[in-house]
Amino acid sequence: MARTTRRRLGTMLAVATAPALLLAACGSDESSNDDSASDNSGTAADDGPVTISFWGWVPGLEEAVAQWNDENPDIRVDFFRMTGDDGDRIPAAIDNGTAPDVVQMSVHSLPGHIVNNRLTDLTEIAGDWEDRFTPSSWGSVVFDGTLYAIPQDSGPSGLMYRTDIFDEHGIDVPETWDDYIEAGRALKDADPDLTIAQFSPNETGFWIQSVWQNGGTWNGIDGDAWTVNVADQESLEVAEIWQTLLDEELVTVVEMWTPEFWAEVNNGTIATIHYAAWFPVLLEESAESTAGNWAVAPSPTFDGTDTAGDTGGSVNVIPTGTEHVEQAAAFIEWLNTSDDGLEHLINGGIFPSAVAGLEHEALMREEEFFGGQVINEVFAEAALKVPATWVDGPTFELTQNALKDEFAQVANGRKTFAEALEDLRERSVADLTGMGLSVRE
Amino acid sequence: MSIGTFAGPVRSHRRALHSGGVRWAPYVFLAPFVVLFLVFLVAPIVTALYTSLFSVERSGLGFGNANESVFVGFDNYVRAFSDSGFISSFGRVLLFGIVQVPVMLTLAIVLALLFDSATVRWKRFFQLSVFIPYAVPAVVATLLWGFLYQPRVSPIVELLQTLGVQADFLAPGTVLWAIANVSIWSVTGVNMIIIFAALQTVPRDVYEAARIDGAGEFRMALRIKLPMVLPAVFLTTLFSIIGTLQLFNEPMTLRSITSNVTGDFTPNMAVFSATTLGGDINLGSAMAIMLGLVTFALSIVVSVASNRRKGGSR
Repeated sequence: MARTTRRRLGTMLAVATAPALLLAACGSDESSNDDSASDNSGTAADDGPVTISFWGWVPGLEEAVAQWNDENPDIRVDFFRMTGDDGDRIPAAIDNGTAPDVVQMSVHSLPGHIVNNRLTDLTEIAGDWEDRFTPSSWGSVVFDGTLYAIPQDSGPSGLMYRTDIFDEHGIDVPETWDDYIEAGRALKDADPDLTIAQFSPNETGFWIQSVWQNGGTWNGIDGDAWTVNVADQESLEVAEIWQTLLDEELVTVVEMWTPEFWAEVNNGTIATIHYAAWFPVLLEESAESTAGNWAVAPSPTFDGTDTAGDTGGSVNVIPTGTEHVEQAAAFIEWLNTSDDGLEHLINGGIFPSAVAGLEHEALMREEEFFGGQVINEVFAEAALKVPATWVDGPTFELTQNALKDEFAQVANGRKTFAEALEDLRERSVADLTGMGLSVRE
Repeated sequence: MSIGTFAGPVRSHRRALHSGGVRWAPYVFLAPFVVLFLVFLVAPIVTALYTSLFSVERSGLGFGNANESVFVGFDNYVRAFSDSGFISSFGRVLLFGIVQVPVMLTLAIVLALLFDSATVRWKRFFQLSVFIPYAVPAVVATLLWGFLYQPRVSPIVELLQTLGVQADFLAPGTVLWAIANVSIWSVTGVNMIIIFAALQTVPRDVYEAARIDGAGEFRMALRIKLPMVLPAVFLTTLFSIIGTLQLFNEPMTLRSITSNVTGDFTPNMAVFSATTLGGDINLGSAMAIMLGLVTFALSIVVSVASNRRKGGSR
């Protein structure tokens, strides 16, 4: 999600000046969607070494690719590091048959590409890799029984909390969401400037992980139709918790990633941040002054169910039109499931989706920022407890964008969370039907 | 004006070379413009117009469909029209323009007149200072201003607070004017330069005559300079109105700081949302064409109004 934020900025910079460019981009439209498998250039697949191209963004992938190329002279990988808005070039590249053979992308963007026939069906090649990945990460790459991507990283949730603040006021670290609200009240009683969390309308990851933890989803597949689940019971239960936190002013309303947000964190007015496994490194970067005062506990639970949340992470896909599907799959397999590949990924700072990665020694480091705690033990345990319920829909990005607008109204007191979700549901249904897709309500 | 004075020598020069057969010369000189104009303006517009009349046919889950584009007539336009967020974004930028354009142009005119009068010292320095914000990319400018808008880190908000004023520049009702402020800061300088340049072309003997007749600086500015540069003012008005409708960078950047800037805050943001986030190029094209038409219509209104003004004053 942090990456998405950075990418969003890149996108803004890129699209910034030119409506004409926007129109020009429209030129490369759906009409070129002709499974251009045959006309994609590349060397003959039969004999001899082949070269596949790979676009990704994990730090240190250069070293991973170098090792692969040393060990596999027959399948040479050309790596291109994606920065800024490179991700936005992918759809046009695939539609015009100039896409790389392996691409890293956000798991949430999968269905949007699938309905445009941009991804290779991997069921036959990799369908039996299921056991190598966490159930939740595998659950979000299979749509209607077909496998379209291999999970790379995920964002299981944990509760980062300020040990000094909790100690000072003699408050126990919350184990359930009811405890969490109680702890919020106790903190506010102890010091009116203290809030247990922040509410950031612009950061949808908080919402997604909690709905996911509660066994919910935004979309689903029912036969030959999509379902819109944004306002289902699982979401409404999360809404109730957040409504209480907001109404009783137990949370600070501040947009995430802004200087203002980091000022609050550094000032110690926010006592916990319940977020994904990829967040601690960013916290350390921007809240140096609080070093040593943090620890990570398992996510508070919804009564009685021992689950954890997830923000979703990234996956590797093979675009349609790729000639060397098998070779590309072999590289993906090595990168995401082998000991060496996983070590490169972990050293690059991501939290792997492969089960072998969860036990990897590279992952289990003591973190000084967190008082020497091996925080990934908590996240690794969480990764296996994430329900496999989340299904992304083809309109994920629109839904996410609409959620920000709706939650801004909640922050302004114009709507309740429950009302916002109902309005979101209506918008979501309209977006899906607008695409010509079936929606079952 | 400069073209008129140039025409003479050019014509005589051409006559001299006429026997050499250089009839094609003008076309060669025109070619770069025509090619770029066709490739980067006409072609995208035609493509967008074409795309806007089609829609990708899908059914069920949308998996494994042929995804063929079918002709749907004006369906996409109907969809865009019934999108209340898109329609209200027009109202928002018009409101923005009604306030921002006059304020900005007044500032630009006053500054240009000041710099043109003999009384200003360090003219170059101040001129550059006013102009420099225009050289700052809009995204950067908005990030800078965004820092000054955020309640908990802004020195401005803090200062106002010590004076007993509770300011929230990013509230739903004020964020539009926070954006207007950024764009006024950014573009006043360039408009000032255009008007200032126009002032330089006013013959100096007119001023002398006015002075002999006993007109002061202020009166000269109001009665002589301003009417003389009216065409430049109309030109900048036209550009500003177009710029207003195309508003994108500032609100899009500010959205990372406050969700009170919605995803379809301006027409261009709605187009961005439909195409880049929603992947619906057909709908986005229809929206872009509608925006283009509104811009075109407003431009014509302004040109007609300015021509009438010019005619009347003569």
